[in-house]
Amino acid sequence: MSVDEVVKSRTIADSALATMQRLEVPASPANYAIWYEYHAGQSPNLQRTIDVLISNDASFNESTLQDLYATFFSSAKEAQAVRETSMHALKTLQEIVGVADLASDDAHDFGNTLRGIASNGLGRSLGNLKNLIEDLVEETQSMAGRSEYVGLRMRESAGKIEALERNLENAILDSTLDGLTGVSNRRAFDNVIRRLAGEAMNSGDDLAMLMIDIDHFKRVNDTWGHQTGDTVLRYLAMTLQKAVRGGDHVARYGGEEFAVILPRTDGEAAVSVAENIRTALAKEPLTLDVTPPLTPITVSIGAACYEPGDPLADWVGRADAALYSAKRDGRDRVELN
Amino acid sequence: MVEIVLNSTNGGVEGGAASNAMPGLCLLVDDSSLVRKIARKIFIGLGFETDEAENGQVALEKCQRRMPDVVLLDWNMPVMDGLEFLKSLRHTEGGRQPAVIFCTTETDVDHIQRALANGANEYLMKPFDQDSLVAKLDMVYYRK
Repeated sequence: MSVDEVVKSRTIADSALATMQRLEVPASPANYAIWYEYHAGQSPNLQRTIDVLISNDASFNESTLQDLYATFFSSAKEAQAVRETSMHALKTLQEIVGVADLASDDAHDFGNTLRGIASNGLGRSLGNLKNLIEDLVEETQSMAGRSEYVGLRMRESAGKIEALERNLENAILDSTLDGLTGVSNRRAFDNVIRRLAGEAMNSGDDLAMLMIDIDHFKRVNDTWGHQTGDTVLRYLAMTLQKAVRGGDHVARYGGEEFAVILPRTDGEAAVSVAENIRTALAKEPLTLDVTPPLTPITVSIGAACYEPGDPLADWVGRADAALYSAKRDGRDRVELN
Repeated sequence: MVEIVLNSTNGGVEGGAASNAMPGLCLLVDDSSLVRKIARKIFIGLGFETDEAENGQVALEKCQRRMPDVVLLDWNMPVMDGLEFLKSLRHTEGGRQPAVIFCTTETDVDHIQRALANGANEYLMKPFDQDSLVAKLDMVYYRK
């Protein structure tokens, strides 16, 4: 590679890494090849397909990324050009991440960062995973900046990076679930409501959502500690899963807020599911050996129906507004919006 | 993004920014009457004239009678699906002209790639709303 080519590759590599970070794409070689190619601009079809995905706010999950790779990196038509570019891409990535020199403090720190990332229980939650990728990219970029001094040497980092990639791939598989409660996380929730709303728009079937928030949760944490708070969250998640029906989806929306998506359910039926949840909490209270004794856990619930043609954010907003009314009107109740 | 303001209180006054110049005929091709209804409302609001077809076969016949400026196209339909329609349309006289926006619940790479390869101008994932639809029109129609 000429100096110009190296500089160009580096620029493309930087853009690729930045885009991957923005879109929360794990840093595997295949993914890197996709995003390098996207920024290199040698494959208009790949670019257009990715632009369609981005402009529709589609999530770049494992299966979408695999499809992109399979479609554009193994088809005979564009294979040659793309293979060459991806070789460049991987080589550049190796140059950037592989400058580990055992004698240098920089490399030592880098190695430690990798070790830390690899042993960090990897990606129990999406936020965690995102932080890990950010750490990696940041560290990689700062290493790249010093690489002129360190020199281009591949050492033990190669093995660690491979392990890291495997871990990240496993982590992304897990990343549809909330680590604490085992129900869907926010990202999975967003995908589920999109899919179900699309189907409801086609079929005209009803589709409802419950937003559920634990009453006085801060008081639980303040009085009995965060471990008890976590137990309460798990207890509610379990109760929700038992109280809903087969096709319903339970998700942890964030903090002490949960959401339930109810296909083929109108407002009235959604309210009765919500009342079932309140009844279930009252019938099977959480019992813990704590002092002072745990007060009964109650929830406030907002319900709203999807209106085809309205933005999804409006639907979520109406459920939130109903939840807010339920809180304002004294908690431990259900409101329909 | 192009801001389309249709001001009904303006009556016959042709003062609206791009609204009097651009909109034309939009053909809504979808077997769901609800989808057609939602899309019709949005397109009419944008100043378009609309026509509808519940499958690709009917759509093709309508195109042969009068070529639309924009086609909003579902994928899965009985009789003739959206992709078959698109292939036939692009081989029909004058059929390269319309801006075709696929509008479907199919969100995978394979569908997107096949749609683009067969002459779709854009790809809109269901559920859509006015903003996401206008964003696509902005890319393939208003800017042309």
